[in-house]
Amino acid sequence: MMKSYWLCVTLAFASFAWGQTPASTATSPPAAAPAPVAITDSDLKSVETPKAEARAKGDPDGSLTGTAADVAVADSKKGMTIGDLVNQVGQNKIAINFVWTLIAGFLVMFMQAGFAIVETGLCRAKNANHTMMMNFTVYGVGMLSYYLIGFAIQMGGVGAVANLGSMPVLNSEFAITLFAKPFGIFGQNGFFLMHSGAYDVAVMVVFLFQMVFMDTALTIVTGTAAERWKFSAFILTSFFMGAFTYPIFANWAWGGGWLANLGANFGLGHGYADFAGSGVVHAVGGLSALGMGILIGPRLGKYDRKGNPNAIPGHDIVLVLTGCFILAFGWFGFNPGSTLGASGNGNLRIGSIAVNTMLAGMAGGFGAMLYMWIRYGKPDASMSGNGLLAGLVAITAPSGFVNPVCSVIIGVIAGVLVCLAVEFFDKVMKVDDPVGAISVHGVNGLWGVISVGLFADGRSNYGGSWNGVNGSVTGLFYGDPGQLVAQLMGVSALVGFVFTLNFVFGLLVEFMVGQRVPAKDELEGLDLPEMGALGYPEFELKTRAVGV
Amino acid sequence: MILVALVITLFGFIVSVLSLGMASAIFVRLAMVIAGIALSFVGIGMLTAAYGKNAVWRK
Repeated sequence: MMKSYWLCVTLAFASFAWGQTPASTATSPPAAAPAPVAITDSDLKSVETPKAEARAKGDPDGSLTGTAADVAVADSKKGMTIGDLVNQVGQNKIAINFVWTLIAGFLVMFMQAGFAIVETGLCRAKNANHTMMMNFTVYGVGMLSYYLIGFAIQMGGVGAVANLGSMPVLNSEFAITLFAKPFGIFGQNGFFLMHSGAYDVAVMVVFLFQMVFMDTALTIVTGTAAERWKFSAFILTSFFMGAFTYPIFANWAWGGGWLANLGANFGLGHGYADFAGSGVVHAVGGLSALGMGILIGPRLGKYDRKGNPNAIPGHDIVLVLTGCFILAFGWFGFNPGSTLGASGNGNLRIGSIAVNTMLAGMAGGFGAMLYMWIRYGKPDASMSGNGLLAGLVAITAPSGFVNPVCSVIIGVIAGVLVCLAVEFFDKVMKVDDPVGAISVHGVNGLWGVISVGLFADGRSNYGGSWNGVNGSVTGLFYGDPGQLVAQLMGVSALVGFVFTLNFVFGLLVEFMVGQRVPAKDELEGLDLPEMGALGYPEFELKTRAVGV
Repeated sequence: MILVALVITLFGFIVSVLSLGMASAIFVRLAMVIAGIALSFVGIGMLTAAYGKNAVWRK
């Protein structure tokens, strides 16, 4: 028995040692590489394709499917030529980029479900139907306004997008001349997706991807104004945002407008650089939400007569955290998808972008959780979820330009920042934000924009240039202070222009239909007065002492 | 008051844009843009104060 035991031990060690033995390092001089020989059309004739008899038996291991037989030939009499081969390579590249961008867009579209249940969970049960319906309706209203007007304003002058096979049709930008330089203000081609040749496969891909981004910005406002927003006012406001507010700033940043050209025209780094939309999507939504929060006022019972805030807890933390996970999943479409391709032009950086995204989300969640734990003694669930989202919002702009360590730093700062911002808006500004959308998207959207100007490491390379300036986007900490100025210019446009524009329209809607529901409806809950049906008809809803 | 606050908020943005034409030194531009952002935040603060005077919890 003992003998066999030692035999086993010896064999085990022997096998371990054998497993660890390095491969032979004996080297022989490499054979001289053969001189390159140009391929001709006649070489292609000798490429073997699967025999019909073999193909007829099926292809269980996949070795017979996808061969030279599948390359489309222009002239069947001549057979396959070099030209056919090169065309197929080009089409494959664009096909990869189309599929990548479309699937990323589908993921972003699913974020609407995440927003819907996060917001509904953070609201009271008596407003569940109303909050869900706002999130459901904003998808259609936003899409309609963007299809009719917004897309052309945003992308009508973008010019060619090399990753999608170029689009010469979106080439008309309205610009003014300021300081002897052109300032692109809005695009003019692509209305109804038919105008000026916009009925084009690449334009359709861009439309789908940009449309779901725009809808993300719109749905941020519904969270801040929840539990007291008149449904008709919400529809008018959303239509305006989808048609004008969002597309104008998006044109300045992504559509060839003046912010994107700050580098080429004024020597400010690579111009305003917002890889996936911390500013374009989240800060636009968050600052519009801030304006709406100021305009519509706090919920009844949120503040006592001395102005002290009361906590009004949401009704379902399970919905909230599930929604956060859905959003984090969708963010893998948001950020890596913003390359608009997976093949060519430095697009293999999608791996870094995806990892940066998940790291910053993790760091944001931890940052918020630890902050709340240290400050209040408990790791608050809803703020942990908001911390995750804050980290994701903040990394959205820099995700394509920074390294993993900086992503974690950006995320941690975002996680703490969102907690501080929620307290600031709640206690100092007295702006009631039931879901913390202003802090998550507005404050951290601005932080994300600024962080590009600080942390961009100059190692990314998307086809050799960005915004028409050669080289890589490089922030202050890596040697380019001009990039920080370009980013702050974007912040100023967001805070000074976007906020004001949307607020003025909010005033117009207030004048037309009124923004806020009557006090009686708010006390009852908006489900019956506004929507005609309860969200939870079989539940008995009890009124809380504070929640009114 | 609301109108003044909105004008100040927008004016902050204009100050930032003017930095492009009025200065070429990077740190002067930086200072002007930061001043513009600060001005816009002052405008938003004034707007909040203006609405806070008639807030529902004061009634």
